[in-house]
Amino acid sequence: MSNFTALDWFWTGAFLLLMLGGAFFFYRLARRSESDFFLAGRGLPWWLPASSVFSTHTATDTPMWVTGVIYAHGLRGLWYTFFAAWTAVASFVSARIFRRSLAYTQAEWQVIRFDGLGAELLRGWMAGWQVFMNMFILGWVGMAMGKVGNLAFDWPIWVGLVIPTVLTAIYTMAAGYWGVVMGDFLQGIVAVFAIVLVSLVGVYAVGGPGELTGRLVEMGEAWRLDPLAFTGWLTGDFPVAWWLTMLVIAVVGGFGMGTSIDWYVEAQRIQSAKSVRDASYGLWAGGALTLVRNGFWAAGILGFFVMLPGLTSVGEYELGWFRIGFGLLPTGLVGVFFGAILAIHLSTISSHLNLGALYFTRDLFQRYLKPDADERTLVWVGRAATLVLLVGSFFYGLMMEEITQWLIFALWLMMAGIWLPNILQVVWWRFNAWGYLSAWMANLGVAWLVVWILPGFGVIPVLPDYVQFWVLMGLGALIFVPATLLMPAEGMDHLVKYYVMTRPLGWWGPVHREAERRGLVVRRAATPANESRRPLIRRSWTPEAAEEWTREDWIAIILSPLVFALVMVGVAKLVLGQWGGAWLTLLAVAGTLVIYWVIDPKLRAVSHEYEAKQAGYLDELEGNLQWED
Amino acid sequence: MDKGLVTLIGMSIAYLASLLGMGFAYWAWRRHHRRADRKEEAR
Repeated sequence: MSNFTALDWFWTGAFLLLMLGGAFFFYRLARRSESDFFLAGRGLPWWLPASSVFSTHTATDTPMWVTGVIYAHGLRGLWYTFFAAWTAVASFVSARIFRRSLAYTQAEWQVIRFDGLGAELLRGWMAGWQVFMNMFILGWVGMAMGKVGNLAFDWPIWVGLVIPTVLTAIYTMAAGYWGVVMGDFLQGIVAVFAIVLVSLVGVYAVGGPGELTGRLVEMGEAWRLDPLAFTGWLTGDFPVAWWLTMLVIAVVGGFGMGTSIDWYVEAQRIQSAKSVRDASYGLWAGGALTLVRNGFWAAGILGFFVMLPGLTSVGEYELGWFRIGFGLLPTGLVGVFFGAILAIHLSTISSHLNLGALYFTRDLFQRYLKPDADERTLVWVGRAATLVLLVGSFFYGLMMEEITQWLIFALWLMMAGIWLPNILQVVWWRFNAWGYLSAWMANLGVAWLVVWILPGFGVIPVLPDYVQFWVLMGLGALIFVPATLLMPAEGMDHLVKYYVMTRPLGWWGPVHREAERRGLVVRRAATPANESRRPLIRRSWTPEAAEEWTREDWIAIILSPLVFALVMVGVAKLVLGQWGGAWLTLLAVAGTLVIYWVIDPKLRAVSHEYEAKQAGYLDELEGNLQWED
Repeated sequence: MDKGLVTLIGMSIAYLASLLGMGFAYWAWRRHHRRADRKEEAR
């Protein structure tokens, strides 16, 4: 890059040193145990998982993807980025349930929720899937960094792919999740600073918010300022049906586990929080910050559109945000900007290295090969697995770029077929391991048929994305629902144990009644007299009452995605100088305060009650891992 | 490369990794249960 001076290199180097040094600082903590190496000892206050959730939602390729949808769609493109709103509901539902399960990974959760051979097969399936997925994501984001290095410095692609990833692997191997989460915190600060700065530069490069919106009107592109600029109910490139589908996927998906590809990363953050309350707030705050980020980005990218409106190739305009930063920032700040890009990259790479190593170590090595391995061995296996993932990611990045690009799309489709089972496994007691496993298997064939084979032979037309989603979901249900009902429910002893431990939301009546009969949960005292004395919003809880799902939970669950939508659109409009944006943002702040006021006393009570039992549950978890069940 | 072919290769690798994990799980499950059965018989 022509305007990269010694001062810029100084800033880049300083940031790199800060991030790497900060992460290395925790080397001694990470080597203590498997729990430290992969979950930071389960002792983090909410703001550390929050910054990590934000950082993992901000990958190297995220600016390209967000730029792509905003450049093509204007502010309505924000809804594509709204998938992160699964965290809005998950914070108060699935995060709470998952944290209480104490499972290290989603694969381990399968054997806590389900029972027998089916559960074990699911664990192995998911562990294999996740080791692959993390390697694949590493290759994918590594390639994105390669492209950025090429754009900024004319480096060969392999330089951007290999060098930052190797640097990250060194501190991830040394400091494990401690290094990841502490690095994420520092990297998050740098990334937020750069995103806000470059977005504002994008807006002011065309003369400020007023000039930007005025120019869009003059160009006949005023619709780009409208986040609800639909092209029809079912027609065009942004129909209402597509918008509603995206909302359903994100918001309803929050009731499940694994409905978003990010769930698996955030599950580790949820489990590393020191309490149920910290897990909820960590996920919520990280998700909210991600959508605030999108609002800033959208405004800056509209500025880029006004400057260069005629770009038709995705490859050209998806680098828009980087072009603003590298092209318009003054000397010195370009170095800060590149430092921020490295920060974004390092946090993504470190997260996926550690997560992939976790699935390998906990679910494959420890469970299946050496259940009695000591803590020192497990930490070393974690380090070795990190190294294997690193090398595998280079293979994906360098040798299989084209495959990787198509796989992104293919994996999205895969998610369509298991979206509903991912929710059912949380909310429906009768759903069983065989139903879930059949959904995963069926999805492969069904996705191929609907997306490629039948349209390829002209049997059906090529369906729009949102139609594909519903068709794949429906066809999947034709297989997993009968499979579930034809196979017996999980054993009642196992279900009761799971129910008492996690107190899930949804249709768990028979299990709850059995737990009541066994005296494991307190009988619901819903006498009319008690209910009539109940305040509209209850702010004082007994441990037993807090375990039940009540209207306070539902207020948080309903308000939370609304707050996320308001803040995302509000911030974008505010940066574009529209007063409506200020009102929307204020409403979002008010909504946040209401959620906190309503749910905090209950979360405190739930956490207090649960943390008292946690040590016992942890012993049981380790016993189960060693086949003592 | 053809879009269909690269997707086929990519998805096959993904499913192969999962099947490998599942095979591993089945092997460990059988091993554990055989051991448990042998202990039971010895009693």
